[in-house]
Amino acid sequence: MARKEITIALAGNPNSGKTTVFNNLTGARQHVGNWPGVTVEKKEGSLSYEGYHIKVVDLPGVYSLTAYSLDEVIARDFVVDENPDVVVDIVDASNLERNLYLAVQLLEMGAKLVVALNMMDVAESRRYQINVKELSRLLGAPVVPLVATRNQGTQELLQTVVGVVKDNIEVTGMRLQYGREVEEEIAKLEKVISNNSLSKKYSSRWLAVKLLEEDKEIIKKFEEAQVG
Amino acid sequence: MMPLSMVSSGEEVRVVAVRAGWGLQRRLADMGLTPGVQVRVINSQRPGPVVLDIRGSRLALGYGVAHKIMVT
Amino acid sequence: MDSEQILHAKDESLAHLKRVYGDEAETVIADARYGFISGLLKDVLKKPAIDRLTLSDRIDKVVLNRWLGIPIFLAILYGLFQLTFTLSIPFMDWIDKGFGWLAEPASGISPAWLGSLISDGFIGGVGSVLVFVPVIFLLYIGLSILEDSGYLARAAFVMDRLMHRIGLHGRSFIPLMLGFGCNVPAIMATRTIENPKDRLTTILVTPLMSCGARLPIYALFAAAFFTAYQGLVVFSMYAIGITLAIIMAWIFRSRLVKGEGGHFVMELPPYRLPTIVGVLTHMWERGRVFLVRAGTIIFSVVVFIWLLEYLGALEPIGRAIAPVFTPAGFGQWQAAVTLIFGILAKEVVVGTFGILFAVEEGALGETIATQLGWTPLIAYAFMAMSLIYVPCMAAIAIIKRETNSWKWPGFVIGYTLVLGWLVATLIYQIGRLFV
Repeated sequence: MARKEITIALAGNPNSGKTTVFNNLTGARQHVGNWPGVTVEKKEGSLSYEGYHIKVVDLPGVYSLTAYSLDEVIARDFVVDENPDVVVDIVDASNLERNLYLAVQLLEMGAKLVVALNMMDVAESRRYQINVKELSRLLGAPVVPLVATRNQGTQELLQTVVGVVKDNIEVTGMRLQYGREVEEEIAKLEKVISNNSLSKKYSSRWLAVKLLEEDKEIIKKFEEAQVG
Repeated sequence: MMPLSMVSSGEEVRVVAVRAGWGLQRRLADMGLTPGVQVRVINSQRPGPVVLDIRGSRLALGYGVAHKIMVT
Repeated sequence: MDSEQILHAKDESLAHLKRVYGDEAETVIADARYGFISGLLKDVLKKPAIDRLTLSDRIDKVVLNRWLGIPIFLAILYGLFQLTFTLSIPFMDWIDKGFGWLAEPASGISPAWLGSLISDGFIGGVGSVLVFVPVIFLLYIGLSILEDSGYLARAAFVMDRLMHRIGLHGRSFIPLMLGFGCNVPAIMATRTIENPKDRLTTILVTPLMSCGARLPIYALFAAAFFTAYQGLVVFSMYAIGITLAIIMAWIFRSRLVKGEGGHFVMELPPYRLPTIVGVLTHMWERGRVFLVRAGTIIFSVVVFIWLLEYLGALEPIGRAIAPVFTPAGFGQWQAAVTLIFGILAKEVVVGTFGILFAVEEGALGETIATQLGWTPLIAYAFMAMSLIYVPCMAAIAIIKRETNSWKWPGFVIGYTLVLGWLVATLIYQIGRLFV
């Protein structure tokens, strides 16, 4: 029986329980190395599930993907360059507002996102009520509740990941409007960008937004594309 | 309008502006601190760091940083 | 369209948006994202009306209190050290005895040099690394508990005011704490400090945090020369290290590594009950660095010293360097030799004394006192020297890797050597006037 290989990346804020989820998924089958060219640690692990061989890459914990720090650049580059089959964003349910900031950016990048809503026990203890279905609908991505410290939800998470890979579950993402003036400038930039070589790799809209954010890494990529 | 560093513990204020360099502005924005957001000062130790309740989580800011955030 | 035009178009757009919004475009964009999230959450999340002070906040009222904060922290730290050292001593004894027991039959192997190599070199070498595992791992278990529970973030907050005075931030604080176990994972932990100047300064003073390897040196001399006050004497070494770190950090930050410091912005996660798996994982992450990196170097050093001793090269080397230490009171070749090899790995200092005097460690203290004519004052000066001078090779290698140059490790070697010599000499010379 041919084993299908898939790669998933784990993203999330620091303190969101990402490491626990990683351990739940990979158990002892972990291995630590370095991200190429830098001294930041890279954790990888693997597992088998329903005939799939799943490689799990633990991305550095970040609050955002705005290239402010090396960790963010590594996380972002991995999603764009290595194109993992699924990106699992570990979201702290007791801290939704800030944690979703990263999820929104991942969706804007076009990642095949599964939101792992972790720490449901903490949210419950604070008597939060979260409409998981509605959250999933509004984000345009599947949401799986977890309590990673009790290893609850891990199977459902794997099932959802496989579902996304098999295309049974859709990740459509959401369309965020930045306000009329900004959207006008985005449209202008998109026109100019669409003929550039970079737009083959990244979505033009995403590039336009990054330029307006004065993203150092993207600006550098444009400068380098010019030389080539 | 006054700097966040002068707000007493327990008070709720709204962020008006962040008078800081690029890097710090972005860092704060990533953590949810953008103009218009309501925050509550949980703990203020002037002259010293400040703990805020912002969008449901707790953020600690150094005095210098709090001084650059204008609130009402 | 070519990139220059694109970048130019971007600048135009940015200027336009700045005029319209009066704010940087990226702030507007971040705001829009949060706005979307807020809107989304209105439909998705229901919080109870009274979501005011959580248990974490209430604990923080005490822990972060401006008057109680630091004493609470010091108390916790003291408790941590006490527990670590007390619990680790029986383990260290076992390991020591265990290896001693292994070495006995090994030394009987012939030819004699092989037997010696195996028993003193290999077994002695591995033993001298493993004997630290209890202290280092126990300390890291303690620190992991503090970290996973969320307390360490509060400690960094509480210390931020003090650290600010020396030009650093609360963030530098956690790596420095890790230095009490082993400097190597501590220096690696400075990666979390974003500002390069703060990070460099932290790296430069981390070697002054008395690591687990220096403990046997203090233990040996404190027991032999200050029996009644051992605990206090050992504690004083840690205190000297911390004080010097503060002073040097201030000096470096104001004169050497000048420039804007980082900003203290840190999330305070809610308090959590640490899980056993989590704590052990974190302990292992840091302790593993000691075992693999520091351990391999220490082992090689012990074998190397064994070789030199076997070839009779130790004494001449020592005699050549010894005079430098006369003003500090320990200008004997044996002391010089142990210090030289201590550069390779600090734990080796005690081991080298052991090899030189060929006695068991129990009797080592008195032997040094009688054979070298040391007084408690000289012993104290020597302890200070061992504390300060030069980080071990493993730490030097890590500094090189993390700073990407030989300039900084070289600088650290230089300044700690000079500082160590100065402090030891001062202790001896000034002490002589009183004792």
